[in-house]
Amino acid sequence: MNKKRSMVILSVLLMMSMLLAACGGKNAANSGSTANGSGDKGEVKTVKIFQFKTEIVEGLNELKVEFEKEYPNIKLDIQTVGGGADYAAALKTKFASGDAPDIFSNGGFAELDMWQDKIEDLSDQPWVKDLVPLAAEPMTKDGKVYGMPMNLEGIGYVYNKDLFAKAGITETPKTITELEEAAKKLQAAGITPFGNAYQEWWLLGNQGISVAFARQDNVDEFIKGLNDGTQTIVDNPQFKNWSNLLKLTVQYGQKNPLTTDANTHLALFANGEVAMMQEGNWAQTLIDNIKPGMNIGMFPMPIDDDAEKNDKLTVGIPANLVVNKESASKEEAKIFLNWLVTSDMGKEYIVKKWKFIPALTTISASAEDIGLLGADVKKYVDENKVYGLQSSKFPDGVTQEFASVIQELIAGKSDVNGWMTNMQAAWDKLKK
Amino acid sequence: MRSRKLSQFGQQLFFVGPAVLFFTLVMIIPFVMGMYYSFTDWNGVSGQVAWVGFDNFKHIFSGDPDFWKSFGFTVRFTLLGVILTNLVGFFLAYFLTKPLKTRNVMRTVFFMPNVIGGLLLGFIWQFIFIKGFSTMGEMTGWSFFELPWLGDATTGFWAIVMVFVWQYSGYLMVIYIASLSNVSKEVLEAAEIDGASHFQILRSIIAPLIMPAVTVSLFLAISWSFKMFDLNLSLTKGGPFKSTESVALNIYNEAFLNNRYGLGTAKALLFFVIVAVITLIQVRVTKSKEVEA
Repeated sequence: MNKKRSMVILSVLLMMSMLLAACGGKNAANSGSTANGSGDKGEVKTVKIFQFKTEIVEGLNELKVEFEKEYPNIKLDIQTVGGGADYAAALKTKFASGDAPDIFSNGGFAELDMWQDKIEDLSDQPWVKDLVPLAAEPMTKDGKVYGMPMNLEGIGYVYNKDLFAKAGITETPKTITELEEAAKKLQAAGITPFGNAYQEWWLLGNQGISVAFARQDNVDEFIKGLNDGTQTIVDNPQFKNWSNLLKLTVQYGQKNPLTTDANTHLALFANGEVAMMQEGNWAQTLIDNIKPGMNIGMFPMPIDDDAEKNDKLTVGIPANLVVNKESASKEEAKIFLNWLVTSDMGKEYIVKKWKFIPALTTISASAEDIGLLGADVKKYVDENKVYGLQSSKFPDGVTQEFASVIQELIAGKSDVNGWMTNMQAAWDKLKK
Repeated sequence: MRSRKLSQFGQQLFFVGPAVLFFTLVMIIPFVMGMYYSFTDWNGVSGQVAWVGFDNFKHIFSGDPDFWKSFGFTVRFTLLGVILTNLVGFFLAYFLTKPLKTRNVMRTVFFMPNVIGGLLLGFIWQFIFIKGFSTMGEMTGWSFFELPWLGDATTGFWAIVMVFVWQYSGYLMVIYIASLSNVSKEVLEAAEIDGASHFQILRSIIAPLIMPAVTVSLFLAISWSFKMFDLNLSLTKGGPFKSTESVALNIYNEAFLNNRYGLGTAKALLFFVIVAVITLIQVRVTKSKEVEA
């Protein structure tokens, strides 16, 4: 009897699983075409937007109202998941479950390669010709443009002009020696020179280390060389120099850099406890939230004593909006993207509300609009004194690996040579 | 006879069916799909999935020191976590079955951490470790609070252990309380009359009688601590320099950060087998120690 019963249960189980497996298969097959509802004419279509910039959610929702007024046949459905890694995982889940968004973010370069068979070629869009050349780079492949860069972001040392003046520093440091002198002066004036949020992987392994890459004679060749084994990070002078800068910031920084996160160093900075921190111009809104009207500026991160080469700011494209190729409402999605950068409303939000440095030449931005940091970055961009942010060219996962080996160096678990070996090993482990 | 069988089948379908349906939907199917992906090089996005046979497993065994490092971390963590949660849980239960006035309040208080989600707990404790402890250190000058909490491998490890024990011992306490209050009063009284000391009673009478609870609690604690993910993510994110990366976090990172979904599922499958074997052995061993009064 007992045996019989277990047979029955087993057969039920099998039957159910077969049934479900069948259902699963059907769903997967249909997901591409039905994910976005039916495409009948005259019907209201929904464009699903999935992005990760949490700081623009509010503005995006206000824009949505305006846009829907102008285009009553298109509805926007905006979803946001913050944080780099969480966003990537969430996006994959969405695609896997057949709930793919129509517009989503992409980082360009290596990420473009990964998603390329899902995204639409946007080369024929009217705004493409107006892109700032640097901004178009990450999403350009074989002469085609696949995404709309949201903005430009400059990364360097954000500094407190008042504290610099108090310590008697008149000019921003252009070389590592000058930087150390400035740090000494600050310390003598009783101010902690650096706030280091070295708990954050992106600050080290993504934005920080980018300088060491950008300073190579030809960075694309160098990265190619790393991938095919003809180049190495070990004993590369630029990396050695970069580690000197890192040491300098730790030496003249607040204590416990490895448990300090970005919120903490922002708070330290806004309260005038530290004079400098590695940040990007997005910090403007964050600082304004803590203490509005601070007298601040930004200068590039110098790794050696070549004043000219050091005076270039790292500039990256944090996100590009791309259109899902298989979307049923991709035309509507394109309409929205175009509206975002050509309508007065969209332009105003980009510069004034989000304080973005526009990636299109047709959008103008003044210092009052984008804040002091933005204005500094824009000055560097206009003078073409910029290095591209290199990290999107790295193999997947390398930025995080870099961050942990850099943290080892900070903690004294490895010396500079060991560190460079570890950096190389991290690359080798993850290269394709 | 035949119709009776049919109605029995109908009954089983009715009662067991829904559970089986959902279990299959959320456990079995993903598990089987995961098994398939562990033999491929899928990156999580691309439409092209290539069969690579046992390459992923070979890679884990030959070329992935990080995985074994995180495995070592998880084993150390599990050992401590299991022992401490059970000890704390048991002794909480032992004292809270004594006639105390604040008994019910205390029970609630100790169970409370379980009600809050692990992720949230992690963020709260991160704040306590970094801000709270350093302030306490400034006030008291005790070196314990002045350690670089979460900032190096040792404090990171102990911080996770502490929060884990704090979170889960309350749950085990409830199991132990249920079991302790079932120990028959007569046996205890008889032992007391025979002149047994408190320790003797605890060791020779209570311990064997609550063995079924020990089996369950050990099993729960082992599987919790092996699979620990949320605390790890919110407290240290595996840092600094990957020193506190649990296997679950390593798998997640492999699949979603390194975009090597196939390799990630291979690790997950391997991990499943290891945990299954360990818990099976544990249940066997403790079951054999169960007695009846």
